[in-house]
This record gives sequence, structure tokens and C-alpha cells, in this order.
Amino acid sequence: MSDNAESPTETQKDDPSIQHAATEQTGASDEKKKIDVLLKAVGDAPIMKTKKWSVERGRTVQSLAQFISRFLKLEASEQLFIYVNQSFAPSPDQEVGVLFECFGSDGKLVLHYCKSQAWG
Amino acid sequence: MAAERNPVSCYLDERTFRLCCQLFLQHSETIKDGWSWEQIKGTDEGFMKKTLLIPVKSSVLHEQPESSVQDEDMVTDNIQANVEDETAGVQAVCEIHAVLRYEYHVLYSFSYQIPVLYFRASALDGQPLSLEEVWRNVHLNYRQRLQQGPWDTLTQQEHPLLGQPFFMLHPCRTEEFMKPALDLAQAENKRVNYIVTWLSVVGPVIRLDVPLSYSTESDISLHYAAK
Repeated sequence: MSDNAESPTETQKDDPSIQHAATEQTGASDEKKKIDVLLKAVGDAPIMKTKKWSVERGRTVQSLAQFISRFLKLEASEQLFIYVNQSFAPSPDQEVGVLFECFGSDGKLVLHYCKSQAWG
Repeated sequence: MAAERNPVSCYLDERTFRLCCQLFLQHSETIKDGWSWEQIKGTDEGFMKKTLLIPVKSSVLHEQPESSVQDEDMVTDNIQANVEDETAGVQAVCEIHAVLRYEYHVLYSFSYQIPVLYFRASALDGQPLSLEEVWRNVHLNYRQRLQQGPWDTLTQQEHPLLGQPFFMLHPCRTEEFMKPALDLAQAENKRVNYIVTWLSVVGPVIRLDVPLSYSTESDISLHYAAK
């Protein structure tokens, strides 16, 4: 599902802690340093070509939001909103590992995202 | 997206506002999150209130990177350091040059039919913060976009119930972030608490975090009826 032709090469190089989740990994999830995140677009947010990512547990929501914004090439005036558990926005300083512990299921953390309209 | 369903309204009537606040406050009480309800004497109007002490460090004086700060890309001239990292239970060592006092009020706006976040900020000696100082403390995650806005998202306003000068996060874009969340919840047939969802988005902009347990608390939500 996550295999695709185009990779966001330059953004990925800047973020070694966020990688494509190539295959399902077995093993105790609490020993893994990375967690699987599934990104789902809401509203008229652009859909990410790659939806599944392996993210280091210590990565913050803000950092992930920046990554997604760059990936989607959002303008500076567009704000990305991220939701967990459908309708709750985690604090930008929250670690994704903690979110995974609270809301992860089937070995992954589902995050919904949408963007605000650009100004003007 | 289910096109046939009526879209969920982003607006909140006052009765639902109060109910959501009541449920919110119950959970706050349980986890000692510090929120209280303030009733205006002689009226049936009120608001939710919480006060926070926020340590502020100036990186102009000390440039060494904080090992406890997760985000290396975060370049700021005003680093907010958490004295206690709740998630790891680790006491982060940092230089605190000042402590600011932020007082947050959640009010109902009859004209917008949604909640609005008012706040005032001061140093510990009571000296109020200027608008520029408040801007410096807007969370980096939101600062760029807010500053680029064509109108004033962060403004000084007279508190509608207390008549004192406060800052306010302008509610005009509430629908932008509430609609997707409410639509999602409806699609999954999940219950929400409007105040929990709304505050989880706007709070962190001005350093007010909403603990995750508000989201997982089952007795806090209502079926949000489509209008």
C-alpha cells in the first residue's frame, strides 16, 4: 500500500527519523524505537502519496506536522491540523510514541490531518 | 465521505456549551487539571477559568542546545522549557529567567455561537505582558501562519463579562478546524465533547495544553447531533 513511484527525496533526507514503513514488522512493539503511523486526509486536504510512515517515538507532533506540510508543499499561510482519536488535537509538543501507547491499535497510530485555507 | 448526510454544524448553542463545560470540569476535577467555573454574580452567565505558570528562558544569553528539547529544528529567540516532563517523569534541567502567569477564560460567544478563548498574561510581579511579548510566546507551530493572517487573530479585547482588558484568539476560523473533526466523529459514530476538541486545537497556540485523558474519558462526550 505504501509503495509508490515518487518519494519525497529531499524531505526524507532531512528526516531520517521518519521513514517509509515498508513492511509489517513483527515483534514486541514496546521494544521498537519507531512506531508505525498511518496518515489520513480529512476534508479537502491533499492525500499523501505515502500514507504509512515509521516514526521515532520521541518525535513530536509539531515535527511530524512540519514534515507533512513540507511533503504536501503547503504555503506558509496554511496551517496543518492533526487529530488523534478522530476528534482530539494533540499538543504540538506531544511525542508520537505516547500517542501510540494511548491510541495505537493493530500496531499503528492513525492520525487524521486537514489544512486551513490559505490566506487571500 | 458520505455525501447524503447532513453536515454537522460547527456552531454550539449555549445550553450545549454549558453541558460540555460541565463534563469538561468534572474530568478536570478528577485529574486536578485546575479548571474552575466562574459565575457572574446575579446572572446566569459564566465561564471556565484556569491559571498557569509558564517558565520562560531566553536563548540570547545561553546558546547551548537543550538535550531535553526534542525538536532540533526549532529556532526561537524565546525557548519554552518544561520544568517537568510529565511523560518521562524526568526533571529537565534548564535555566529559568522568568515565570509568566497566564490566565485563560473559556467564554461563550452569542454572536458567533461558538466558544472563544480569552487570556491575560503577566510577569509574576503583576506587570502585564504587551502584545509583542504575548506574540513571542505563541507556539512556534502556529506563529508563522497567525502572523501572516490578513486580520488580527490575536487581539486585545475587553472581556465581555469582566470588562477588563484581555487578549483573545479571534474565533473567525473556528469552523476550519472544528468541521473536519466533527465530521470525522460523526462518520465513525463517535461521541465528542465540543469544548474538548475545540480547546485541544486552540489551547496549545497560547501554551495551554489539554491532557490526552480528556480524549479517552468516556463520560465526557455527547452525541453531537447533526443539525
